[in-house]
Amino acid sequence: MRIKSTTTVLDDNMKTTPTEDKIRARMAPGVLTLNGFLGDDKRSINEIIADDEYTLNQLGISAEELAERMEFFQSKSFDSFDGSITIEGVFDVETEVVRGYLPCPFMHSGIYRKSFTIVTNKATGKSVRYSALNIHLIKAHHFFEGKNSHFRLEPTELVNTLWNK
Amino acid sequence: MLALIIKDIALMCAIGGSLALIMVLAQKWLNSYGEVNIRINGKRDLKVTGGNNLLVTLGDKQIFLPSACGGRGSCGACKCKVASGAGPVLPTEKPFLSAQELAGSVRLACQIKVKTDTEIEIPEEIFNIRRYNATIAEIIDYTYDIKGITFNLGEGETIDFKAGQYVQLETQPYGKIKQKVMRAYSISSTPKLNDRIQLIIRLVPEGICTTWVHQYLKVGDQVSFTGPYGDFYLRDTQADILYVAGGSGKAPIKSILEYLAEVGTNRKMTYFFGARTAKDLYLTEEMHDFENVFDQFEYVPVLSHATPEDNWTGKTGFVMPYFKDAIRDPKNTEAYLCGSPGMIAAVTKALKEYGLDEDKIYYDSFG
Repeated sequence: MRIKSTTTVLDDNMKTTPTEDKIRARMAPGVLTLNGFLGDDKRSINEIIADDEYTLNQLGISAEELAERMEFFQSKSFDSFDGSITIEGVFDVETEVVRGYLPCPFMHSGIYRKSFTIVTNKATGKSVRYSALNIHLIKAHHFFEGKNSHFRLEPTELVNTLWNK
Repeated sequence: MLALIIKDIALMCAIGGSLALIMVLAQKWLNSYGEVNIRINGKRDLKVTGGNNLLVTLGDKQIFLPSACGGRGSCGACKCKVASGAGPVLPTEKPFLSAQELAGSVRLACQIKVKTDTEIEIPEEIFNIRRYNATIAEIIDYTYDIKGITFNLGEGETIDFKAGQYVQLETQPYGKIKQKVMRAYSISSTPKLNDRIQLIIRLVPEGICTTWVHQYLKVGDQVSFTGPYGDFYLRDTQADILYVAGGSGKAPIKSILEYLAEVGTNRKMTYFFGARTAKDLYLTEEMHDFENVFDQFEYVPVLSHATPEDNWTGKTGFVMPYFKDAIRDPKNTEAYLCGSPGMIAAVTKALKEYGLDEDKIYYDSFG
């Protein structure tokens, strides 16, 4: 399976390109964040993206649609400092902003505010928590992070929580 | 035949070695720009060796521009005007620069290689910024995720700063973190005690520096920081003051209040501190104690998510509705805000609606 992100085209086979090596290095613990973006995942970045892309296909939603939904909740709650707001009658949303910014590990230009949005679906009682960088990584790179990474997001959980289906 | 093969191999090795030597020498020559002059603010000349980026080059001469990422081009803090000598704006700079800054020749110092004589403009205050070595003297747990850390400067060292300014703390490698990072934190102690500083630091999830501070730093450790930085500081007027802060945003306000307690003031001051629950409150008694120090001071903590367990009888909800009673003359009131960008935006909007002049609203945003 060939996955194309906006900055990288990764090989069909298991070989890594110099670009992927560089990206992987930036995703290592202690480079941009404390524990990095890959957790204990031994798969290549290409495989991580491909597996999550497969899940998204099964769910019938695109990464862009999912990211836009995440962005919608974040922007709605952004100005409600120190408080949560209810959106569409069923989602409790709050965004906390802390000092600083993070760059994209895929070497996209731009920086992303260190903010954490928590969306709770009151109908299911389930919550998801994501950062501004998570939104960018999903939207631009279809990257949900490696297994057991601190900010790993499961596509299925996101879809089940962010929509009231 | 064998001799011929050996000869060919030797010849190829010689050619390869020569090429490698030429490349090394060429790289050395090409990357060496000799002595370069950096003219600062049209009056100060700095002779430097070319080849490094502007941020590092100035740092080597003890001129410290703000930088939170150590020159990796990811924080956008090291902006300065480069009137001449820099090449075209790089793609790595553009996301950090507004159209106005681009038109005004503002650049990121970490992205500009010093190759030729260069003219730059930087605020005069930058020359007051120094690098300090310090020893951790005290660590206080203010809340479950906020610590106050006191840094004693080296023997005979002092720091000259204005209440409200910040420093950049440099981490040391720890655990699996192999490289140093620098992060900005407001000074929470008074400038009058200039042989030490205190910082108030909140633990950030996945934060490299805050994890180091919270989980690795201990009393007696040696650390480095640069400073002071920033234009968030108390203005020397007689206007009434509103302070509004949340979380670790209490730090610069604490510094200002401690300073005013020492120099004295008759200014009317009200301090609103927003927190989610009672467990997010800290230094509450100390802040209320200032009510006995100043003639006209009130500390008003406000909880947005008070729980029954908090047994909270104070103010609740957002802080903004309570401003009305604290403002007696909006045109003679200054506001000092420190907190998240969302808080700054909401509070600024409310203060303008109450009639405060925008140019009298000073803030230190976490953003």
